[in-house]
Amino acid sequence: MLRRFLFLLSTLIVAIQSAEENDGGARLLVSKQILNRYIVEDMDVIVKYTLYNIGSSPAVNVVLKDNSFSEEVFKVVGGFLNIKIPRIPPATNVTHITVLKPIVDGFYNFTAAEVSYQNSDESAKVQVAISSEPGEGYIVAFRDYDKKFSPHLLDWCAFAIMTFPSLAIPFFLWWSSKSKYDSFSKPKKSTKDN
Amino acid sequence: MSAKNKSVFTKEEELLLQDFSRNVSTKSSALFYGNAFIVSAIPIWLFWRIHMIDVYSSIISFIIVTLASTYLVAFAYKNTKFVLKHKIAVKREEAIAREVSRKLSEDKKMSRKEKDERILWKKNEVSDYEATTFSIFYNNSLFLALVIFISFYVLKTFSPALNYVLSIGIAGSILALLSTGTK
Amino acid sequence: MFHCKVLLCIAILSLISSSLGTVCSNPQIEAKTYTTQDGTVITNVAFVARFSLKCDNGARELPLYAEINGKTFPVVISGKEHYQVSWVEDVKTAKSGSHDVNLFDEEGYAQLRKAIRNNEDVSAVKPLSQIQVPHPGTYQGPWLNSEFLAVVLSLIVWYSAFSTKSKLLS
Repeated sequence: MLRRFLFLLSTLIVAIQSAEENDGGARLLVSKQILNRYIVEDMDVIVKYTLYNIGSSPAVNVVLKDNSFSEEVFKVVGGFLNIKIPRIPPATNVTHITVLKPIVDGFYNFTAAEVSYQNSDESAKVQVAISSEPGEGYIVAFRDYDKKFSPHLLDWCAFAIMTFPSLAIPFFLWWSSKSKYDSFSKPKKSTKDN
Repeated sequence: MSAKNKSVFTKEEELLLQDFSRNVSTKSSALFYGNAFIVSAIPIWLFWRIHMIDVYSSIISFIIVTLASTYLVAFAYKNTKFVLKHKIAVKREEAIAREVSRKLSEDKKMSRKEKDERILWKKNEVSDYEATTFSIFYNNSLFLALVIFISFYVLKTFSPALNYVLSIGIAGSILALLSTGTK
Repeated sequence: MFHCKVLLCIAILSLISSSLGTVCSNPQIEAKTYTTQDGTVITNVAFVARFSLKCDNGARELPLYAEINGKTFPVVISGKEHYQVSWVEDVKTAKSGSHDVNLFDEEGYAQLRKAIRNNEDVSAVKPLSQIQVPHPGTYQGPWLNSEFLAVVLSLIVWYSAFSTKSKLLS
């Protein structure tokens, strides 16, 4: 009975101590978002990483590595995918943006990015965390997107040009005949009034 | 004398018959069917370029629907023309009478009857011409407006092939239906 | 003796700081910028400026801070010499034209923060360098839907034909 009690007490002390250890360190929450309504082939995809430090110490030597965008599917047009932030103070957030363009279409699973950092200025232990996952998305082929959303102005203009003769010629023929006979009846009308 | 009367009578009869029948001459008929075909075929461009319909798989439906629509549109042309012809004839009567009398004023040899006959014939011809051209213009504009409205607003979510058949079919039917009304 | 010690301390500290690279002398910047210009598929406009910084004293991987329109962002480091500043703006409020990015090192940033806290003139703090991010504007789609225009036009034509027909038949 006593032994059990002592055992429990020691576990509790160890737990409290370890909790105390973690309490003082930095803790990063990383969110990875894709700021797109549609993901279209050969059109910009904006990836926004937000790193927020909810701990009480600054996070030091934060390294963000994103290997989830394979070279065969995406090309980077703006920003870096592997970055280092020297220091994130507590209760602050840092955002990082990368712009990519897909080069093929189809389903793609957007997975998480990896973050590693040191707990505080003094600690040399490296902590690893992963960001949130945007999940599976579908890259629309450019042709389909263009067909759905482009204004097709040229096509409409061509249509207007094609329909113009079938409307204009009958109208013009009718109008010329009408005006010819109207001019005939006009002088008669004036004499009638008199 | 009687022979002359007979010929004048038959000619008048002929003219009256022509006036009141719905039959059109072959020349008019050719004109109607030709125009109807053109106006039925033009929307295919819209469907090909904007709705991205697959041309090769729908070619049979294109042919069938275009022919059906040609028939319906030509039917509408005929009916509209008939309705318009009389009204136009009434309006043009005076002007044509003046024109023809002016032309034939030097020719004193022509009898009154022949002059009247000429006027009647000319009136028929002019009103026929005007009614034909205006009917084509009116029906074309209505058909195109209907096709654009139906295929881009009413049937927007339908598949392109179905969209084509329904929008042209409905537009042609509405055209034919409206033309039978006597407004 | 004391003065020697102080001088030694200062010398050591400056050596450490320059080797640690918190101060950059004669900064040379080569910048490459990118902004998203087609606003039809994205929800925000992204501005990205990548630059490489060369210092005469060979300082690398400096902690830098950027200031744009009164907002401050930390600059992230990539590789040995490359840095990046990036931010997003709402599509409707993103202005076209040149956006000026002021870069500050640690010292400059501290001075900037002090100026902001005391509501002093922010432009009095001299930045380490400045980058221009040009943005030609965001394309948000055509002004008028072409189908709508087509329907309206065709209806106008039909209506004029209809009114003429009614006149004829009256």
